[in-house]
Amino acid sequence: MEEKDQLQSRQWKSFSDRSRTMNMGTQALKKLNYPAVTMLLVLMAAWYFGAHVYNKPFVFPYFEVVMGRIGEALTDLAVLRAIGITMRRVLMGTLYGFIIGLPLGMAMGFSPLIMKTLSPFVNAVRQIPTTAWVPLAIIWFGLGDGPTLFVLALHGVFVIILNTAAGVMDINPEYYNAVKSMGAGPVEIVKDVIFPGALPGVITGIRLAMGMGWMTVV
Amino acid sequence: MSIIVDHVTKSFSERNRRRQSKLVLKDVCFEVPDGEFVSLLGPSGCGKSTTLTIIAGFQGRDSGDVIVNGRTVTRPGPDRAFVFQDYALLPWMKVGENITYPMKMQRVPKEEREKRLDELLSLAQLQECRDQYINELSGGMKQRVALLRAIACDPEVLLMDEPLGAVDFQMRKLLQLQLESILMQKKVTTLMVTHDVDEAVYLSDRVIVMGRDHGNILADVAIELDRPRDRTSEKYHGYCDQLTELLKTALSGEVFTKEDEDIMNFIKNAEIESRRHC
Repeated sequence: MEEKDQLQSRQWKSFSDRSRTMNMGTQALKKLNYPAVTMLLVLMAAWYFGAHVYNKPFVFPYFEVVMGRIGEALTDLAVLRAIGITMRRVLMGTLYGFIIGLPLGMAMGFSPLIMKTLSPFVNAVRQIPTTAWVPLAIIWFGLGDGPTLFVLALHGVFVIILNTAAGVMDINPEYYNAVKSMGAGPVEIVKDVIFPGALPGVITGIRLAMGMGWMTVV
Repeated sequence: MSIIVDHVTKSFSERNRRRQSKLVLKDVCFEVPDGEFVSLLGPSGCGKSTTLTIIAGFQGRDSGDVIVNGRTVTRPGPDRAFVFQDYALLPWMKVGENITYPMKMQRVPKEEREKRLDELLSLAQLQECRDQYINELSGGMKQRVALLRAIACDPEVLLMDEPLGAVDFQMRKLLQLQLESILMQKKVTTLMVTHDVDEAVYLSDRVIVMGRDHGNILADVAIELDRPRDRTSEKYHGYCDQLTELLKTALSGEVFTKEDEDIMNFIKNAEIESRRHC
């Protein structure tokens, strides 16, 4: 719960932070998301008192006990190593998904023909639940990192394809005419119009893929 | 140099009904000689913007020829700079980068680009906006940046699609003044699409009036007035009245869009004005 709160507050901070000219000290203070911190404190207090009033630790464990366990876990080297491995897997999986998804998404967003050709397959394969892939992935890649990375990349690739394609389709078609009339070739069109235009979509895609990765990696 | 539009015909296939297509332009012919500023004036749906985009090479034609400087147009190219109605400036680039973009594409060396950029920015009094992003600019400023980008590479031909259509009345008058002074210094061959009679008379050497009947040319009026033009002169009003009358026939009472409403309002105002003069 704490982790989730922090994640959310970080997002809010990055949204609300528009002033980058302030010096570091005041900036850190300004960046602190006070409403979220207050909410966190309220929730913690509610848990603490709620658990003590209910007083059945097996069903509703005490706040201080859970925090103690978290502290133990975070100081345990084995747990830390496991977190490191998981993180690496999520990042690698997302990276593979990105490498495959970005060009596909850009092509699908740019060309209606490619979109028409590929979208039925993308949409069909996308619906297959993760667990259904696991046996196949183990047969294909053996035990170890292989199947995990495969499933993560597979999950990420669709999110990235869909968001990239949507990003490219959002580009004002006049931009293509504009750069063409200034003498831009295909390389420049990709570099100066399609890629920067799709970037917000691509970033959303990566963000979602990473988030989903954390959920599927288990 | 010059633009020659020779018997251009263009039809669009309609989305709902297959095998049926809508004829937009039929045998359109006109010429823009070297260094002249010509306006295409007409009501909405007369095909004036289509004509301009065909000259730019953004879309093809069914038959006929478009020859710019002796070369037949097949695709967009840097010899024909285009000013878009909604500017089409790249929002992920700064003002300076937007303006130097065509020079970058033409492989102009960096120092030369910077020098030219300074020159252009001072021409339009935009020096302080050099490092701003497009979204930080007002409509009028965007328009000036779009124009600077278009003339950055000294194009032989300038094509403008309602360049001042999206700015308010005051700004429009100011930009017309600036546009004129910039273009007078350069003497580029220019073709502008507009539905504003006053703008056409103020800026052009010649005004071509297009009708709704597949872009047939109703009139080709040479504006013989000294520059800068005096909006209060008798002759200026004469030209405005003449073109207004022509537009009235072109509209034939059918008002389809906001653009047509603008024209109708202009016609009404002109009538009120002329009555007052009598």
